[in-house]
Amino acid sequence: MLSPRWRKVARDLSSHRFRTALVAVSIAIGIFAVGVVMGGREILVREFDTDYANAATPGATYYTGPIDDAVVRRAVAHPDIAEAEGRHEVTLRYRWRGSAAPATLSIVAMRDYEHVTVQKLVPQDVTHWPLRRGEIALEGSALQVADYRIGDMLEVETADGARVSLTVAGFVHDINAVPAQFTGTETGFVAFETLADLDEPEFFNRLVITFEDAEMTREEASKLAADIRADVLETRGVTVYGTSVPEPGSHFLGDIFKAVSLLLLALGVLSLGLSGFLVVNTVSALMAQQVRQVGIMKAVGGRAGQIARMYLATVAAYGVLAVIIGLPTAAYAGRQFTVFAAGILNFRVSSYTPPAWVIALEVAVGLVVPLLAAIVPVRMGARMSVVRALNATGMSATSFGHGLGDRLLGLMRGLPRPVALSIRNTFLRKGRLFLTLATLTLASAVVMSVVSVQASINRTITNLESWWNYDAQLILGQPTDALALEREVTGMSGVAATETWSGHPAVYVRADGTENESLQIIGLPHDTTFVRPRLIAGRWLEAGDTDAVVINTDVNNDEPSIALGQRFTLDVMGEERTWRVVGVVSGQLSGAVIYADRDSLGDIVGDPGVNRVLVRTHEHAPGAQQAAMEAAEEALDAAGYQVVSTRTQSGLSGTIAEQLGILVTFLVIMAVLLAAVGVIGLTGTMTLNVLESTREIGVMRAIGAQHRSIYQIFMSEGLVVGVMSWGLGALASYPMSWLLTDALAGATGIPLAYEYSWPGVGVTLAVMVFVSAMASVLPAFRASQVSVRDAIAYE
Amino acid sequence: MNDTPNNTPLLRLRDVVKVYDTGDVPFTALRDIDLDVYTGEFVGIIGKSGSGKTTLINMITGIDHPTGGEVVIDGTPVHRLNENQLARWRGRTIGVVFQFFQLLPTLTVMENVILPMDFCSMYLPKERVERAMDLLEQVELADQAHKLPAALSGGQQQRAAIARALANDPPILAADEPTGNLDSKTADAVFGLFERLVEQHKTIIMVTHDNDLASRVRRALHVADGVIVQEHVHRPRHGA
Ligand SMILES: Nc1ncnc2c1ncn2[C@@H]1O[C@H](COP(=O)(O)OP(=O)(O)O)[C@@H](O)[C@H]1O
Ligand SMILES: [Mg+2]
Repeated sequence: MLSPRWRKVARDLSSHRFRTALVAVSIAIGIFAVGVVMGGREILVREFDTDYANAATPGATYYTGPIDDAVVRRAVAHPDIAEAEGRHEVTLRYRWRGSAAPATLSIVAMRDYEHVTVQKLVPQDVTHWPLRRGEIALEGSALQVADYRIGDMLEVETADGARVSLTVAGFVHDINAVPAQFTGTETGFVAFETLADLDEPEFFNRLVITFEDAEMTREEASKLAADIRADVLETRGVTVYGTSVPEPGSHFLGDIFKAVSLLLLALGVLSLGLSGFLVVNTVSALMAQQVRQVGIMKAVGGRAGQIARMYLATVAAYGVLAVIIGLPTAAYAGRQFTVFAAGILNFRVSSYTPPAWVIALEVAVGLVVPLLAAIVPVRMGARMSVVRALNATGMSATSFGHGLGDRLLGLMRGLPRPVALSIRNTFLRKGRLFLTLATLTLASAVVMSVVSVQASINRTITNLESWWNYDAQLILGQPTDALALEREVTGMSGVAATETWSGHPAVYVRADGTENESLQIIGLPHDTTFVRPRLIAGRWLEAGDTDAVVINTDVNNDEPSIALGQRFTLDVMGEERTWRVVGVVSGQLSGAVIYADRDSLGDIVGDPGVNRVLVRTHEHAPGAQQAAMEAAEEALDAAGYQVVSTRTQSGLSGTIAEQLGILVTFLVIMAVLLAAVGVIGLTGTMTLNVLESTREIGVMRAIGAQHRSIYQIFMSEGLVVGVMSWGLGALASYPMSWLLTDALAGATGIPLAYEYSWPGVGVTLAVMVFVSAMASVLPAFRASQVSVRDAIAYE
Repeated sequence: MNDTPNNTPLLRLRDVVKVYDTGDVPFTALRDIDLDVYTGEFVGIIGKSGSGKTTLINMITGIDHPTGGEVVIDGTPVHRLNENQLARWRGRTIGVVFQFFQLLPTLTVMENVILPMDFCSMYLPKERVERAMDLLEQVELADQAHKLPAALSGGQQQRAAIARALANDPPILAADEPTGNLDSKTADAVFGLFERLVEQHKTIIMVTHDNDLASRVRRALHVADGVIVQEHVHRPRHGA
C-alpha cells in the first residue's frame, strides 16, 4: 500500500482539482509555446532545407534567343557545369471560369519531365505524369490564390491572339517558383509538344544550369556565369538577353524566412522564461498555503528533506500532467502552424515530426523547469521552523501597516472602500504581483508593438500610394507607337488621363566585369504627372536632360558605386550607354529602378516605342480601377496589341501588404501566445490570492461585508493589475515597436516607414481590461462565495 | 518533597530562558525554569493565558528552541539538536497533541495515525496498519478509521490526534490544551484516556486551563509570568 505521505501528495492533487488544473495548464502553456515555436521552427527549417536542397536550384539562368539540344549538350559537357537543361518559357494571358478578368500565366515547357535535373519539380497531386499534350500542371502555390480543380479549363491567349484551352492535369511543386500570391502570376508546366498549340516555336529560350562547385560566393558565381555565357553560348552565336545568378544556396524568400525563424526563436525563449515565472509563482503560493501542514508534519517527526520531497513530487506530478496535456496539443498546433507556414512560404513538408531534442526540451520544460523553479520555495517552506509554521495563520496582512502600500492607502482616502482595499491587496503580494505584472506588461507591449508594426506597414503603403498618381498599368509584349497607343485608351469611360512609358531590363556592368541584371530602367515623360517623386537628394528629370537619370534608393543599396553625381554604364537591350545620376528618390518596394526621360531612352535603344500604358481613373476605388483596367485591356486586345500583364495599384498595394502581412501574422501569433500566458498567469495569481485571503474574507464577511463588495474587491484587484501592465507595456512598446519595425525592415530588405500606433494603445487598454476581467471573474466569484465557516475551517 | 520511582529524571530542564524578539523590546516569556519529570508522571501545567505555558511545553517538545539553559530528555540534549535531528527524535520520543487537533485534512484518520511511523521508518509497512488499528481501538475510533477528519466530531478528532501521538510508541506525550476546544463531557473522556495511558507507564505533560482537570492530575505546576510559582502534588490513590 502507498505510504500516507505519498497518499497525501496524491490526495492534495486530486482534491484541489481547480488548482491542479490551473498549474498543469500554466506549465502546459509553456510546453505548448516551446513545442509549437521551437518544433515549428525546426520542422520549417529542416523541411525547407531538404526541399530546397533536393530542388537542384539553378546556379544561373540564361534568358536567350533560340537554342537547341546541341547547345544544352555542350553546356553539360562544360567542366564547371554539373547539370544543364533547356526550357521554353512564355508569359501569356488566360481566363479561368473562376475569375472574371484575364490574368497572367507563366508557362514553362520542358522536354523530359521524368528526368528533370535542374530546378526539379515534385508532382503533388496529378492525375498522371508526365503531362500529355494539351494539359497543364499548375505550381502548387496557385491554390493559395484561387480554388483551381483538376479538370478545370484554362483559356490561354497566344501571342498571335488565338485562344487555346489547356486542361489542368494537377499540381506540382517548385520551390524556386515565385509563389503566385506574391506576384499575382501563376506558373504552369506543359509538355513540349503543347508549345505548338500555343503558337510558340519549339525551341528553348532559357538555359538553367547548376555549378559543379556549390560553395561559391555570389561574386564568384557571377563571374563564372559570365565566362560560361561567353564560352558556351555567345561563341556559338546564341543571343543572351540576360543572366540571373541568385545568391548561391539561398532561397529568394530566405530573408523573410530568416526573419520568421528569428521571431519564432525569440518567442520560444520568451515563453520558456514566462512559464518559468508562472511556475515559481504557483509553487511559492502552494507552499505558503501549506505551511501549517508542514508544521504539523514536522511536529510528528517529518524531516525537512522528507517534506521537501513530497512537495517536489507534487510539482513533478503537475509537470507530468502538463506534459500529457502539452505534448499532443503542441504537436497538433505545430503541425497546423507548419502547414500554414509551408503554404505561404511555398515549400513541401514531408515529415511533421519535430527533432528529438525539441521533444526533450518540451519534457524538460514540463518537468525540469518546474522542479528547478520549485526548489527554492519548497526548501524555504520545508525548512521553516515548526513554531513559525504552526503559528502561520494564512493571514498575510499581519505585517501590514508599515509598508509602502499602507502609506499609499493613506493617500487614497477619497477612493471607495472596495477599491482602496483591492489596491492594498494588490500591493501586499508584491513578489507575485511583480511576476504577473512582468508577464502581462510584456504581453501588452508586444500587442501594442505588433499594432504599431502594422501601422508602419500601412504607412509605408500609403506613402507608396501617394507616389503613384495613376490607377492601373498594362504592359505590352512588343514596343509600339506612343500616340497610337494612347489614342486607344484615351476617352474611355472612367478614364481621366493616360500616359505611356517604356520599361526595360537593364544590366549594370561592374568594374570587375561581373554584371547586375536585376535593374530596371523606365522611360517616362520628364514632366509626368503620373508619379509624385519623393526626392531624397538631387533633382527630378528636366526638359533637355539627355543622359540624366534619377535612381531609387534600391539601386544605390545594390550598387553603391551608382550614386548621386556619378556616371555609370548600363546595357539596355544590348546597347551600352553611360548615364549620369542627377537625383535619388525613395524606393518603391519594386526593386531597383532607374528613371530616364522617355525620349532619351527611346533614342538610345533605337526604338521609339513604348510598352506600358498607364491609366488614371476618375474613381480610385479598387473596383473602378479594375473595371478601367479590364476595359483598357479589351480595347487594346481588339486593336491587336498583345497585353502581357496588367495590374491595378490597389492590387499592387494588396500584394505588398500581403508579403509583409506574413510577418505580421507571425507577430500576432506571438502576441496571442504571450497574452494567453499572461492571462493564465493572472488567473493563477488571482486564484491563489483568493485562497490565501480566505481568512481575511471570512473576517470581512463576519463583520458584514456583502458578497457583492467581496466580489468587487477581487475584480478591482485584477483590473488594477491589468491597467498597470497596460501602462507599463505602453512605455515599453515605444522602443519595442521601433526596434521591431527596424528589425523587420532589415530582415526583409523592405524599407518601412515607422509609425507608432496611438489607436493601438487605446485598443490594447480595452483588451487588457477585458482580459484581466476575464481572468478575475472566476476567482472573484469564488471569493464572494466564501462563508465565515469556510474561513475558519480553512487550513 | 520528591518521592520518585528512580533517581534519574526522564526529563530535566535547567535554567531554561526564552526571550521573544518582539520588535523594540525583547520579551522574556520564560525565566530560569528548572524542572524534573520522572517516568510515569502525569504533569499538568496551569496558568493564565499568556503566562508562558505553551512556550514551556514547546521547549520540551523541541518545537521551539530555548534562548538559554538545558533541556535533556531521556539522555538527549534537546537544546543542541538541529531541526532535522529534532524532527526524528521527536517522532520517536514525544507524541504531540495540539489544541486544534491538527489532523492533515486530506488523509483519513488511519493514514494520519500511520504518518509518524512512515516519517520515522518505524515498524514494517505491513505492521503499520495493524498497529494503527490497535491504537484507534484504544481510543475507540476503530469504526471511523477510513473517514476524513472533517467527518469527525471535535472529540473524535482529538482522540484520533492522540492515537497519532502514540503511533511510534513514544515514552512521553505532550499536550497543549488538548481539551480546550471540547465540551466538558468530551473533555472528560479525553482526560480518562490520558489516565489510562499513564497506567501504561506513559509520561504525560499536559497544559490545561481547566481547574477541574488540573485538580485531577498527580502533579500540577502553576505558571505565572514565565516562572513556575507553585507546585501541587496530589496523591489520590497510592502512597509512596
Ligand atoms: N512568537 C512569539 N513572539 C513574541 N511573543 C510571543 C510569542 N509567542 C508567545 N509570545 C508571548 O509570550 C507570552 C507567553 O505566551 P504563551 O506561552 O503562548 O502563553 P500561554 O500558552 O500561557 O497562553 C505571551 O505574553 C505571548 O504574547
Ligand atoms: Mg497557550
